[in-house]
Amino acid sequence: MDWLFFGEISLAGLAMGGLYALISLGFVIIYKATKVINFAIGEIMMFAAYLFLAFAGGMEMSPWVALPLAVLGGSVLGGVIEKVMIRPMLGESSISVVMVTIGVASILVGLVELIWGADPQLLPSFLPRKPVFIGEMYLAPKIAYGFLIGAGLLIVYLLYFRFSRGGVALRATASDQAAAYSMGINVRRVFNLSWVFGSLAASLAGVLVAATGGLSPQFGAIGLSVLVVVIVGGLDSILGALVAGLFIGWLETVAGAYLGGEYRMPATFAVLAVILVIRPYGLFGTHEIERV
Amino acid sequence: MFESILSKGRRLAGIGSIAAALAAAPAMAQDKEPIVFGGSIPLSGVFAFAGVHLHAGLTDYTSWINGEGGINGHPVKYVMEDTGYEVDRSVAAFKKITGSNTVPVYYGDSTGFMKTIASELNSRGTTLMSGASFATALTDNEKYPYQFIPGPSYSQMFGIILEYISSQGEGGDKPTVAFVYSDTEFGKDPIENGKAKAALMGIEVVEEIVTKPGSVDVSAEVLKLRRARPDYVVFHGYVLSPINEFMVQMRQMGLDTQFMGTFWSSDKLIINKMGADSDGYMGVMPYNYYDSAEGGPMLDALRAQAEKSDPDAGYRPTGYMQGWFNAMVWTEVIKRTMDADKELTADNMAESLASIKDWDTGGIIGIPVSVQDMSFPVGRIWRVNAKEGRYEPYRTGSTSTETLYGSLAGNR
Repeated sequence: MDWLFFGEISLAGLAMGGLYALISLGFVIIYKATKVINFAIGEIMMFAAYLFLAFAGGMEMSPWVALPLAVLGGSVLGGVIEKVMIRPMLGESSISVVMVTIGVASILVGLVELIWGADPQLLPSFLPRKPVFIGEMYLAPKIAYGFLIGAGLLIVYLLYFRFSRGGVALRATASDQAAAYSMGINVRRVFNLSWVFGSLAASLAGVLVAATGGLSPQFGAIGLSVLVVVIVGGLDSILGALVAGLFIGWLETVAGAYLGGEYRMPATFAVLAVILVIRPYGLFGTHEIERV
Repeated sequence: MFESILSKGRRLAGIGSIAAALAAAPAMAQDKEPIVFGGSIPLSGVFAFAGVHLHAGLTDYTSWINGEGGINGHPVKYVMEDTGYEVDRSVAAFKKITGSNTVPVYYGDSTGFMKTIASELNSRGTTLMSGASFATALTDNEKYPYQFIPGPSYSQMFGIILEYISSQGEGGDKPTVAFVYSDTEFGKDPIENGKAKAALMGIEVVEEIVTKPGSVDVSAEVLKLRRARPDYVVFHGYVLSPINEFMVQMRQMGLDTQFMGTFWSSDKLIINKMGADSDGYMGVMPYNYYDSAEGGPMLDALRAQAEKSDPDAGYRPTGYMQGWFNAMVWTEVIKRTMDADKELTADNMAESLASIKDWDTGGIIGIPVSVQDMSFPVGRIWRVNAKEGRYEPYRTGSTSTETLYGSLAGNR
């Protein structure tokens, strides 16, 4: 066995897994606080990546100015979607809310096609192009630096949720909405903030993934493939999103390298099936017990 | 503000005059039954980037041929529906359009649709079909007697590429090659034939890589190619991504691999989006590029019509050329059938198509072409000159244009 090759493949997989973890975080934060599965997360990612393209490409801003602007734009979009389209659905069945998010996804695809057209796009290059070597192992620079930027945001998020007032309010709401409300927490604001933070994580991941693999109006489909990560990790577990993101990224890449590209998805779905049988609530998800 | 309103008003007035002229034109010049070009066109969905240009090519050709007096005096009407590149919608569009019109020729937007509709097309016997697909399967005359390919099949394109690669060997050594293709019906189409052809020519296929189409991370696949070190990588089943990532990452590793692609992987989009990184990329293309130095009466007419219909559009992609060429072949087939005093049935039109020999396309394809197995099995290798921002035909010394076109009779 070529261990150097295995090491390189594993590194590439883990780095990609880091970006999966970031997208999963977008799902999990929103679900944890609001119990809404946001099927438009991929399209929010896509929209942020197109914003980056507009700022860095069309307006020729520095990519390092365009990146935070695009990410902010994506997070504001998430906040607006929550306020205008999700909040009026409060109290409705979860299927209805999910259908609204699917509708939002469709609207965003149409909007992007109207504004930027249907052509595939490449983002202006902004990550260093010098190959990265860890020991003798090669790692593609875009993946390596993308992973570092993503990991930076993950650390900021973890610290925010652990120590800030907003983070505590979010965790309290996720734990028990009624109790949080009775303790004076503005639950509606927390709902909105969760969409803003979830969309922010997804937007950053969107720009980084698009910088690696290109962009098109169908880019949002990646959000659905990351749903596997979220289910494996547990829909309401941030730790689950991180661990499952890294694991699925690694597994997908190793399966692709040793079995062939057509086995990437079957490998991840096989893991999903096994996890659903053993732990239907995911590796780290909350096991809810309903008593009649 | 006032100027803007005035300008919009002038534009509207212009559009109004054009509409009035169009409405009056058939009554003035052509009182014969119109011939309908039907089409299931992907103006939205994953293939929309090409669909809009195919549609523009078909629309502009229709305007041009009507300006030339139509087909034997019959005006041409182009009737289409958007399909979103979904087979069920394409079928619904076909039924709707053929249900309300007599449609001798029809544009299909995908291999999937063309295979699905084949049995109905065969039982109707009224319509000849071509479209966006260059799938090898469609060259099977038994199964698809009323469908043709407006160029070489994907397998024939691989054959042309492999012939070029074979010619680059030195001292009896043949270069090595890797095939990189998408995990789709489109991507897998020519691979088995490509491998067989390579084996026949003594070219070793050192690696075969399958990826999802579009936005994917390919760093693991690049690591495999780094070990296989192919002299050539042939892409198929992609439009842009992940071709760019393979090229950039492999060059970052210091590999001097040459990259090549088939029809849909050889649009100018690669140059526009990749810039200097696209330099040296090579593609196989049956048609001359819109901005190439080549010329000819039909190519000039195409350029003039494109300029007339949308002066701001500038360069027209290969999808536009493909749409135009499809309509050109339909016209030729209908004309030959009418000239032979035959009805416009699928059988008669297929016979007219098969009779096309050494046909001068007026510069759309650089050499006279003949139909073989319901396809036009010719193509040419083009190379990106990133500095000039365009593809240039591959040439060696004083080689004539004719010999630079791979003509692959029987290479299915």
